Amino acid sequence: MTRPRDNRDRIVSVSVAGRIADARRHPEPVLPGDDGEISFLPGAGGVVLGVHAGDPVDRWVGDHLMPGAGIEDAEAGPADPGSLHLLACIGNPVRDGRAAFLGVVSGKRGGLAPGAFAPNLVSVEASEDRLRELVPGDRVVLEAEGRGLGLVDHPGVALSNSSPRLLDALPLEERDRGLHVSVRTVVPSRFAGPGLGQDAWIGDLEILSDGAADPRPDDLRFGDLVAFEDVDSAHGRFYRPGFVSVGIVSHGPSRSAGHGPGVTIVLSGPAHDVTCEVSPDAATGALLRAWAEDG
Amino acid sequence: MATEGVVTNAERLVTLRVAGVVQQPSLHASVDPEGSVQSLPGMGGVLIRPNLGDPANGWMSDHLEIGASLVHPDPAADEALQSLSCVGNAATIVDGPASGATGIIVGKHGSTMVAFAPDVLARLAPGERVVIDAVGVGLRVEGETHVVLHSCSPWALGFMVPGRDGSGRLRVRVVTTLPAEAAGAGIGMPADRYNIDLQVDHLPASSGARRLRFGDLVALEDQDHRFVRRPRQGWTAVGAICHGRSVGGGHGLGMITLLTAPTERLALKVTQGANIVALVESRERDDSAS
Repeated sequence: MTRPRDNRDRIVSVSVAGRIADARRHPEPVLPGDDGEISFLPGAGGVVLGVHAGDPVDRWVGDHLMPGAGIEDAEAGPADPGSLHLLACIGNPVRDGRAAFLGVVSGKRGGLAPGAFAPNLVSVEASEDRLRELVPGDRVVLEAEGRGLGLVDHPGVALSNSSPRLLDALPLEERDRGLHVSVRTVVPSRFAGPGLGQDAWIGDLEILSDGAADPRPDDLRFGDLVAFEDVDSAHGRFYRPGFVSVGIVSHGPSRSAGHGPGVTIVLSGPAHDVTCEVSPDAATGALLRAWAEDG
Repeated sequence: MATEGVVTNAERLVTLRVAGVVQQPSLHASVDPEGSVQSLPGMGGVLIRPNLGDPANGWMSDHLEIGASLVHPDPAADEALQSLSCVGNAATIVDGPASGATGIIVGKHGSTMVAFAPDVLARLAPGERVVIDAVGVGLRVEGETHVVLHSCSPWALGFMVPGRDGSGRLRVRVVTTLPAEAAGAGIGMPADRYNIDLQVDHLPASSGARRLRFGDLVALEDQDHRFVRRPRQGWTAVGAICHGRSVGGGHGLGMITLLTAPTERLALKVTQGANIVALVESRERDDSAS
């Protein structure tokens, strides 16, 4: 298997101060479901015990639930991603305030409207023992590495939210002068929901159903790879025929109408350069969990 | 406006006076789909040109908001201003040299938008207060349990829904119908506030959007906007174009939701005159007659 060549020898690593996010009930009204019913369920911030990368997203009763610890920028307010969010890449190590390894970045959530809606969270996959030590407000430090990463033979393909370590672990190969990536499913653009119109480095793009059809597999898991057809995420996420965006499932579903599981985009490009192949094994959850356990 | 065969609960709706302040324009950098950064006017302030009824495409702008953009400095009051204002509501300037002049609510974005006549816009400025006689929240069409109205005054409903067809379906005036692919930023947001951006840069949506004007009524296919804006086969959302195109991908012409219903309950009537500028013109006629 030939892997695409990248520019990682030129990529810098930078420390960013953050904190464990508080669980919050945001001042915006809680959104109603299709039946008009309003529910408030856990999911926005805090430290989520017992939920990890690789778990099925539908197992838990939550709302936009992310596995592990939710972290945010040390200085930016909840509606603002701040530099921690904008620099974080999946697979980056996170250490605690005493410089002890805590875990690795596993995904992002946020970006409903530019600068207007909270929360903007980064999830950290960590061992259960480590999660039980954390207190919202605790200082953390992200070792951010991956912004600027690119594939030298594919200038039209944009990488986002992807550390060099994650890039190595993606089911991605160079074949017949094109990139081939394995995904659990290919979602048609009409099912792409909140996250459209936002920077690819902020939050995620949500998978919706349209009442008649639901494009996601029944056993979708945190860390699974998912592609969106006819969506470009190089500069913003938007409808663009002939492009494809591939990402990693970062948060769970919601009872709110117009919301669904979130996918943090890691790769985007023209469909003639990026071929998606559906495979039940296209997942990073087990690997992220192993990285968090092993340090 | 009389509406044949369409009975509403309008006589039971309350009218509430709510205040807003004309917002200072904001300018921010937006990244276009090719990666270039542009900063163009559009949000906030008093828009002197173009106005309601003018072509919505082609302006060097970003999310161009029609008329005067109102906000309230208290966040809770701003949320009420957004939620209670309805398209067609009368708005009166209460400060400054244009004090006493009236306009109507025409849209919502981050702000609440009011259209005024050009001679009024020429005297209005950021910081001046406008008061709205807000009426429309709670409006229902009797016997149509699945038809939901948002941000829609009884007056706007009368223009948009002039009656029923032979099968009893609601006749709805629109300029065009856009496909589900047009639905962009705004999905997942509350349907009674803000708006939905229409991605009209590519086919199939681009052809229907090319000649749209500010204030045009548009139908969006396979969208259910009863509570939150979401895709749903067999449903249609109808609204008015209230802001212009954007630099950034996933954004585009803003459509304020006015009505959503199962598609089978609607008889869409495509007509070039389906523009809420008609509400302004009829108000001006009423004013000059009185």
